[in-house]
Amino acid sequence: MSTVKAGNIKKGSYILYRSVPHYVLRVNFISPGKGSAFAKVKMRDMRTGANVEFNFKSHDNVEELDVQSKEMQFLYKSGDEIIFMDPNSYEQVPVPVKLLEGQVEMLSSEIKVYVIFHEDKALGVSLPPKVKLKVVKAEEAVAGDRQTAGKKAVIMETGLVVQAPLFIKKGDVLSIDTSTGDYVSRVN
Amino acid sequence: MQKNWQKMRQNQFFTEKLLLREQVIKAIRKFFDQEKFHEVETPLLVKSPGTEPYLEVFSTKLKDEHANSQPAYLLTSPEYAMKKLLVAGLDKIYQICKSFRNQESFGNNHNPEFTILEWYRASADYKKIMDDFSRLMLFISSELQNYYQEIESDFADYILSRLKNNQVEYLGKIYNLQLPYQRMTVAEVFAQYLKINDQELLDRDKLYNLAQKQDYPLAKEESWDDLFYQLFLNEIEPELAKLDHPVIIYDYPLSQAALAKKKKDDPRFAERFEVYLAGLELGNAFSELIDYQEQEDRLKSELLLRKKLKKSTYTLDQDFIAALKLGMPESGGIAVGVDRLIMFFAGVADINEVLFFPALEIFK
Repeated sequence: MSTVKAGNIKKGSYILYRSVPHYVLRVNFISPGKGSAFAKVKMRDMRTGANVEFNFKSHDNVEELDVQSKEMQFLYKSGDEIIFMDPNSYEQVPVPVKLLEGQVEMLSSEIKVYVIFHEDKALGVSLPPKVKLKVVKAEEAVAGDRQTAGKKAVIMETGLVVQAPLFIKKGDVLSIDTSTGDYVSRVN
Repeated sequence: MQKNWQKMRQNQFFTEKLLLREQVIKAIRKFFDQEKFHEVETPLLVKSPGTEPYLEVFSTKLKDEHANSQPAYLLTSPEYAMKKLLVAGLDKIYQICKSFRNQESFGNNHNPEFTILEWYRASADYKKIMDDFSRLMLFISSELQNYYQEIESDFADYILSRLKNNQVEYLGKIYNLQLPYQRMTVAEVFAQYLKINDQELLDRDKLYNLAQKQDYPLAKEESWDDLFYQLFLNEIEPELAKLDHPVIIYDYPLSQAALAKKKKDDPRFAERFEVYLAGLELGNAFSELIDYQEQEDRLKSELLLRKKLKKSTYTLDQDFIAALKLGMPESGGIAVGVDRLIMFFAGVADINEVLFFPALEIFK
């Protein structure tokens, strides 16, 4: 563990906030006309999966957690847990589903993920920026509604529903942005 | 990543969303025209920008024809020049211009260069400005409804589905712009949300204890201003964001209002207000401080603080002090973030979606 100034908190790091590990999702700096600069930090509570926001003074001391990330393979989902396996030692590690909010449906056994550990306890999972998934269901093109003009919903092998261009067919392989779940391109 | 101008080539809806800016600005001009205000233009490149201790400015050099140079800055607000125009005899003025703030985040509610609307009324105070602001919001909403009713497009339908009479849907929630706005003093909001009275609010140790109780990371020597603002940001702003209408927060503790007039009946507070809507801080207003001596003292101490904080320093705007010395009428004035108004009416959460060329695209 090391102490950093709140003004130096980085997106993607893990900090101890109210004695609980939190993953930093976003940092914005605000300099109000009166008063010192503040870091508005949006973070995920790694115990509950809930997102919280807190405004730190830039000079506040914050504990940054030393984490190790280990490359692992997705095995299966079991109730509230996702089971990952170390491909070298075959050791299996359960990770609570709530730590992968919105990303469970992007996991396939093909992709390599990094499980983040702090003192041997899994804190979270880091997916590659993009994953390749196969389309298992795609309707014929229909006129899109106004907000999604030129797009249609297709279902991926993992159950993920993606808004994709009208030309996408069943069997296509798509590249998906794991931070948003959005279609990026066709990569057949 | 596609840039906004590239997205415009493919997406008519996106293009029309960016063009909402034009309609909002037209509505603002029409409003002030009807109110018989003069539109003025003052320099963006100045010798003495605002002294707010925590705002960083853009510094440059101005060279004459012999290449002799002197420091010059992009302003953070056109306030000083507009007040000189009040002294010059103009009594109702407004300006829509760019302002610049350095060392801030790109995106969300901030862009290093942004569009500011300021207006000033002589022989008026901040209460009159509160009234102006609320009527302006309703006026913009109604002008947009009139305009988009004549347009056949998906975007026009989208706007008309969100703007109905006095109501505006923003990010899934409906806000009522009906007059009059709810008004609460700073002391009242602290009493309501943090259960402390006005005396405790001004007591640094009391705020320290409150922050400690909330488990804030704290150093021993935290200042009253920092504690005040941190409690406001964490405990009060989120509550204000839950309201389904605009709210005016007024009468700030004196140290939070360097350009505002003290309250006659309670000099611990100054006549400043901020207006919040949907979690957006839309405007900051004062009954203007017109006492030249007090103004000079406050600006000097701010410049000293800037030096201590290692921010750019510059000379005090003596011309501004000279103007006050000549006699500025009692006045009220306000600065409004135009980009944020546009975000609200466009229904977007990120300023980068209402700028043709966000700084993020250029510099990051």
